[in-house]
Amino acid sequence: MFLRTVLSRLLTTLVTLFGVAVVVFVLVRVAPGNPIAMMLPPGASEDDIAQLTALYGFDKSLVEQFFIWIGGVVQGDFGTSITLRQPVSDLVLARLPATLELSFFALLIAVAIGGVAAVIGARRRGSPTEAAVDLTSGAVLSIPDFLWGLLFVLLFGVLWPVLSISGRLDPRLEFDFLTNFVALEGLLRGRFDVAGSAFSHMLMPALSLALPLAALIAQLLKQNLKEVLIQDYTTLSRVRGFSETQVILRDAMRNAALPTLTLVGVQFTFLIGGTVIVERLFAYGGLGNMAIDAVINRDLPLIQGIVLLFAALFVAINMLVDLSYTLLNPRLRHG
Amino acid sequence: MTMSSTLNIQNLTVSLRSGLPLLGQVNLTLEPGEVRALVGESGAGKSMIGKAVLGTLPPAARVSGGQIFLRGQALDRLNAAQRRHCVAQSAALIPQDPLTALNPVRRIAPQITDPLTRIHGWSTERAQARALDLLERVEIRDPARVMRSYPHELSGGMRQRILIAAAFAPSPPLIVADEPTTALDVTVQKQILKLIRELQKEVGTAVLFVTHDMGVVAKISQKVSVLFQGRVMEDATTEAIFTNPTHPYTRALIAATPSYADPSRSFSPVPAELIAQMKSEIAKEEVW
Ligand SMILES: Nc1ncnc2c1ncn2[C@@H]1O[C@H](COP(=O)(O)OP(=O)(O)OP(=O)(O)O)[C@@H](O)[C@H]1O
Ligand SMILES: [Mg+2]
Repeated sequence: MFLRTVLSRLLTTLVTLFGVAVVVFVLVRVAPGNPIAMMLPPGASEDDIAQLTALYGFDKSLVEQFFIWIGGVVQGDFGTSITLRQPVSDLVLARLPATLELSFFALLIAVAIGGVAAVIGARRRGSPTEAAVDLTSGAVLSIPDFLWGLLFVLLFGVLWPVLSISGRLDPRLEFDFLTNFVALEGLLRGRFDVAGSAFSHMLMPALSLALPLAALIAQLLKQNLKEVLIQDYTTLSRVRGFSETQVILRDAMRNAALPTLTLVGVQFTFLIGGTVIVERLFAYGGLGNMAIDAVINRDLPLIQGIVLLFAALFVAINMLVDLSYTLLNPRLRHG
Repeated sequence: MTMSSTLNIQNLTVSLRSGLPLLGQVNLTLEPGEVRALVGESGAGKSMIGKAVLGTLPPAARVSGGQIFLRGQALDRLNAAQRRHCVAQSAALIPQDPLTALNPVRRIAPQITDPLTRIHGWSTERAQARALDLLERVEIRDPARVMRSYPHELSGGMRQRILIAAAFAPSPPLIVADEPTTALDVTVQKQILKLIRELQKEVGTAVLFVTHDMGVVAKISQKVSVLFQGRVMEDATTEAIFTNPTHPYTRALIAATPSYADPSRSFSPVPAELIAQMKSEIAKEEVW
């Protein structure tokens, strides 16, 4: 039973990823702009163009090209970047940690802010405090992540420059990284100056990404908490002497988190999508920033690689959400 | 009315924020170890009395007059935290619907023992032992396994027994039982009633027993308060209620109940004229 679930899940995943591969492969080729023309200086000879076109395989039919590419992909070969002249897999994997650190830091901020706001709003339900939570979250939600980014660049980069607004790390820091997870590695290896620098660089882009999600969590979790807080078992807890805050944290939270979790999972994939522009805004060396360069340069293999990786990431997150839903819900655990 | 009463309610009035009264000038006392039934038709305000005592009135309602003394302590003199503490130390609730009264994502054990350790300051071992003991007492087989279970793994009757065990666990002086058997089927109802009665005698707990079933009243209570539209129509011993009811509404309620002893006996609904007459009398009084 369990094995069948896993297998069918795996199969859907493969079908999804294959679909994404087909779509992105076709889209980047029907989009205007010739990658070869962009590589050569103006006035290159017909011969040069033909030679380069053949080198990258663009002279073959679309179907042929696709099967050559996908044949490589299943063996872990995603082709070579046209502009950077390095294997796409190396390039993409080197950037992935930066985007992962930023996204999960943003998720952490969103859950922390949204969670606290939801608890406060639910604790003071029906009072002006709850109205303030509603109003603030509504306002925050109406501003998208990249506008928050612009706002932060202006406020803390230009008007009152207290935080770094570009890059991942202070370049003066000396540290031999084993991985590209600079914040995590700094923390784990006790180099708090490195971790501190990484987090202070991530703070504004992460906050830009986190604020809309935080507002959404505040609204949704508060609503779910309020629905749980009229259940009989919470009444019973109050009669037994637990304070309203204890009732919320001990009895209501896990029940309210369940329906919230599914939506937060979906929204988290949107947040990762948001990194593309926000990373650019803060010159943050992640996948999204690289994706924009790749699109500008018509670096088709690189675009394909990045999109596939994003798709795989989204699938993985959905699986994680399903898994934690099952773990949190005893009714599904022994099913 | 003495200070030794477990519960003493004086002229209690509960109204909606809009001003509409739900309870008017309710008086009742409960002596230690006594069982008092609150009877009346649906909407009479039976549950509202229990909620006023336990401090779980809905947000739309509030106590607008009168006093509640719990073991001599006037509840309206206490702030919210003191009141919560006072109620938790003196009272427990057996709810109506066992299916919604247990937290679905927590195991049974902490739902019984947490109040004992965290509110009553017991040691974990003592709370654990007490929980197992009471689960056995309410005739649950393999209590150790049940303690590790989640609510959805247990039947409604089992869950109500667990809730009864949890209510009696701290040996509270007062238990409010709000129609604890209406959600259960008839055979289970009888067992549950028997358990409540036995434990009540054993622990010496006073019980405020909400029901609309006069048959249950006869079995479990020593005193009865008959409610109609938020008012106490009659307050007497159970024996007096059945042998010599003074209020016509009480007589009508008894007549409206099919008898356990003789199910074939015909019963008649409360006459509409009587209801109309009582309503107009209440409207005339205007002493809410
Ligand atoms: N949350 C609420 N908001 C407003 N009015 C309420 C609320 N809960 C109950 N009432 C009203 O208060 C009155 C008394 O309700 P209560 O629940 O005490 O009745 P009851 O005697 O317990 O009836 P039942 O046998 O149906 O449980 C009813 O008229 C009901 O409509
Ligand atoms: Mg009721």
